[in-house]
Amino acid sequence: MPRLLGVDIPNEKRIETALQYLYGVGQHTARKALAELSIKGSVRAKDLKDDEVATIAAYLEQHFVVEGALRRSNLQNIARLKEIYCYRGLRHRRGLPVHGQRTRCNARTRKGPRKTVANKKILRK
Amino acid sequence: MSRSTHKGPFVHPSLIKKVGGQNLKGTKIPIQTWSRASVILPEFVGHTFNVHNGRAFLKVYVTEDMVGHRLGEFAPTRTFRGHQKKDR
Repeated sequence: MPRLLGVDIPNEKRIETALQYLYGVGQHTARKALAELSIKGSVRAKDLKDDEVATIAAYLEQHFVVEGALRRSNLQNIARLKEIYCYRGLRHRRGLPVHGQRTRCNARTRKGPRKTVANKKILRK
Repeated sequence: MSRSTHKGPFVHPSLIKKVGGQNLKGTKIPIQTWSRASVILPEFVGHTFNVHNGRAFLKVYVTEDMVGHRLGEFAPTRTFRGHQKKDR
């Protein structure tokens, strides 16, 4: 199995698809990279030659922010928001939705599993 | 949809005037404002604003990182002190 940019090992899929297993590479980027390097998207990842793998890796590193670098920059952006005490930063700190969604119900992705409060109904009365 | 670039960022005219005046004089007196929607310009860095949150004015010291955000983002309008604890 070919290794691309460190840890990622795409599998038996077409490279067009296999490339998308990299963080920061989607359909658009994958197709663009392959077109630019004139490699057929339908080739299976295992059938790629070593030098082709190397050129793809080099191309992605050079033209896009992917994998570790992208993860780092995302975290830095969030850290910046947290640091300056702006509204979005506060939402990140609290683990609540950042983009103004409702939190009366739902918002489970950000809030995590429900924490049941005992006797909630009785207390309200 | 975001704002057209030809208009430039929105800043309340009086804020520009006040900050400009203070920069000329080199003073950094806190500026009281209700204009939460005003974008923080690079010229504002180092100034202190008293931003209204609907009830009181909150001190906001502008740092370089805050440029491009709006004044209101730094003056929360809601108070949430946690949920009621059950008492016996």
